[in-house]
Amino acid sequence: MIEIKDLHASVDGKAILKGINLTIGAGEVHAIMGPNGSGKSTLSNIIAGRDGYTVTKGSITYKGKNLLEMSPEQRSWEGIFLAFQYPVEIPGVNNTYLLKAGVNAKRKHQGLQELDAIEFLQIVREKAKLVELDQSFLSRGVNEGFSGGEKKRNEIFQMAVLEPSLALLDETDSGLDIDALRIVANGVNHLRSKDRSVVMVTHYQRLLDYIQPDVVHVLMDGKILKTGGKDLALELEERGYDWVRQEAAA
Amino acid sequence: MSVSLQTVRDQAWLAFEARGLPTTRDEDWKYTDLSRISALLGEQWWQAAAATEIDAAAFAIPNLDAYHMIFVNGRFDAEASDLPAGITVSSLAGLIQDEPDKTIELMAYHADAALSSGLTAANSALASDGACICIAANTRLDKPLHILHVNDGGTSHLRSSIEVGQHAELEIIEHFAGNHDASGLTNSVTAIRLAAGGRCTHYRLQLEAVKQCHNGRVEVKQSRDSAYVLHAVELGALLSRTDVISKLDEQGASCELNGLFVASNRQHVDHHTRIEHNAPHCVSREHYRSVLDGRAHGVFNGKIIVGKGAVKTDSAQSNANLLLSDKAEIDTKPELEIYNDDVKCAHGVTIGQLDKNQLFYLKSRGISEEEAKQMLTFAFADEILAKMGSQPVRRFIERAAFAKLPIITDLEGMLV
Repeated sequence: MIEIKDLHASVDGKAILKGINLTIGAGEVHAIMGPNGSGKSTLSNIIAGRDGYTVTKGSITYKGKNLLEMSPEQRSWEGIFLAFQYPVEIPGVNNTYLLKAGVNAKRKHQGLQELDAIEFLQIVREKAKLVELDQSFLSRGVNEGFSGGEKKRNEIFQMAVLEPSLALLDETDSGLDIDALRIVANGVNHLRSKDRSVVMVTHYQRLLDYIQPDVVHVLMDGKILKTGGKDLALELEERGYDWVRQEAAA
Repeated sequence: MSVSLQTVRDQAWLAFEARGLPTTRDEDWKYTDLSRISALLGEQWWQAAAATEIDAAAFAIPNLDAYHMIFVNGRFDAEASDLPAGITVSSLAGLIQDEPDKTIELMAYHADAALSSGLTAANSALASDGACICIAANTRLDKPLHILHVNDGGTSHLRSSIEVGQHAELEIIEHFAGNHDASGLTNSVTAIRLAAGGRCTHYRLQLEAVKQCHNGRVEVKQSRDSAYVLHAVELGALLSRTDVISKLDEQGASCELNGLFVASNRQHVDHHTRIEHNAPHCVSREHYRSVLDGRAHGVFNGKIIVGKGAVKTDSAQSNANLLLSDKAEIDTKPELEIYNDDVKCAHGVTIGQLDKNQLFYLKSRGISEEEAKQMLTFAFADEILAKMGSQPVRRFIERAAFAKLPIITDLEGMLV
């Protein structure tokens, strides 16, 4: 699905990523963990195509194409989805209108016919149920006046509608109470399939109790210092991160 | 009777001769340079335009079910109008002819009135027509009254008065329009009085022709528990200035001022508003936005005065401005004068370009850069229009406003 090779990136001249190597196969779920400031969010933002990052070295190949040459909207059409750590509020832009425009832009790119309003509404209603999102949210402004938990559910709802091949969840679990975490995790688990890969960037092990990863990576100091199975997450929870750095240095 | 209408007029004329046009040395006119008016219109710019014939139907608001009062080059056109029964509607010209004494109070010029200027004096001296409307207590007009002022250039001085009786309700659409290449000045004063419990929704749509200048003044005096709502839209004219003065004189009165400027090229739009909280438990809401493209220049000055006795005042003001070009300019100044402690006053100003985070968010959902910019620009401006209760007026303004912004290419798609 995606292959990241020796990726170096900086923000305002400051090196953040210092040689990331990461390969994610179709259908796999990877967790990327690490302390604050280790570069976790930078990595997901670069994959989604946010401005303000300079890739100084390395490459990202996605479905055989050079990802770094694509605009954010092209990446979306090719199946990349970023669930934002802090979803923005866009008053005045209707939630459903946004999704319809997004879905149809993608269909147009794929040479498919645009969905009409009725077909689209059916899809949207069905997906809203998945994340237990009240119908009234559909006609509201994007994230306008939503609580923290509602914003995160809305992200997963959008993901369900856009049906990505590679979903990046950037700290989607942060700030969620247990009920909301369960709902969000249900939504993600529902979307797991052999064609869809998921990258979860997280700070906490508890998310992984709900969404079982195939692989866990530790990102520290701009590099992946350790890779393991889901037991690694438990070990990190218990022992913190310093031992990983020591082990890598040794 | 101590003075005659003629005396009032003569005094106003003397005041106008003494004051002349405001200059940028006046604090209230710092950013609006009227020397352009005399440069465009010549020395005798105040002289009224000749009578003419214009097909008012060309300026109709689609799907609007309303009564119509039509003025052409500042003259009431009875034939083109469709006036309601059951309320008193007269043209000022008719009143001046039949009952001049009744117009003295309306026509008087008060040099010390807030935001008064030489233009206000000229209006007192020269206003020849306008809408004079009186709605009796406990009545409601079944349809809005569309007051259309259309011109083919030149100058008109208009003075209108709207009197809303106790618990009466009225919706008016003051609409200034033209489609010509000539220059001129529309100088309009509208005085509104709301008796106890009276309600008035006032759409003020400035869609003058491209070289026309516009000077407007709206004075609202409110009694107990009355409610006034203004939707002011500025789309047309080369230079446009409007002063809105709202006096909440008795307890429980409320006013809501919503304003939208959409300006491009070298358009200049200026609104000075002044809300006076003169009594306890009054509520004011003011939300102004501007979208400025090209070399357009916007000015917003919003003054809110909370008097000593106006305890439990609840006031909120916001002004947000979107600059679509490097050469567009906005001068904005919220002014709060508060003379007691028991008040709630919120205010905020923003000036900026389209939000980068919002743009990225939309693009990450598969929306192209161009479409994302359109969506954000439309949404920004439409938040003000969404406050309009009248769907036909809202749609009419959306079409007129966004048609002039090159960034909006799929307007019909956005309106769905």
